Amino acid sequence: MAEECKPSVLRVTIPSCLEWLGIIDKVCEEIALQLGLTEADANALAISVVEAGTNAIQHGHRLEKAQPVDFRFELTEERIEVEVRDRGPGFDVQKVLSWDPTSPEALLAPRGRGIFIMKNLMDEVSFRIVEGEGCWVNLTKQYVPTPS
Amino acid sequence: MNTSTRMVGDVAVVSLSGKLMGGPDADALRDIIKETLEKGTDKILMDIGGVSWVNSTGLGILIASHVTVTNAGGQLKLCRVNNRITQLFMVTQLQSVFETFDSEEEALKSFAAS
Repeated sequence: MAEECKPSVLRVTIPSCLEWLGIIDKVCEEIALQLGLTEADANALAISVVEAGTNAIQHGHRLEKAQPVDFRFELTEERIEVEVRDRGPGFDVQKVLSWDPTSPEALLAPRGRGIFIMKNLMDEVSFRIVEGEGCWVNLTKQYVPTPS
Repeated sequence: MNTSTRMVGDVAVVSLSGKLMGGPDADALRDIIKETLEKGTDKILMDIGGVSWVNSTGLGILIASHVTVTNAGGQLKLCRVNNRITQLFMVTQLQSVFETFDSEEEALKSFAAS
């Protein structure tokens, strides 16, 4: 990709409809293609960002369609940073982080895997909750471009 | 998500396509599984080759299907699982829950052998 064509920041906002996560998936796919990510890294990015969006829509906004979910992608030569923001009340981060969906008693649980998936597929995952303003999830993926 | 069901011998082959991500997908798949079991078919093969992506809610739908079929004494297997969903199964250790096959043919043979 020509140097002058490389964006440093991309922003996308979608309504709180799960169907619109398809757009986010396509954005991740295109970023992976343009930056030369391996298939595993490309999948990890798309899966994790879609998970963060799913959480924002389902838990942050309770499927309230009018509420916007903001995605910000910051791209550098060696890392991709994604920020996903909802306007919900947030959640008990420690409680969610301590949940292990791969434990024998939880393996068949119908839910509770989203953040676990993000933590296992991305290099860094962090959360910021501001009362009255919303919840920000930050995801970072280091990458080494595949030779073109 | 789109679905279609056909019988191959005594196995119901349920083909899924599109995105498996919750909402109406959960109801649709639950109804298909329920109807299939009620018809007396307890061998179900889900062909997910046409599913482009699954989120954690979609995983929950697959797990619920597996639990329903297993509790009814049946078997649910998956075929044509793409690399992205395989990666998701590995991370969540659900590869130990779902029996998966590269092709419908291999999966059908495994039902015949069991």
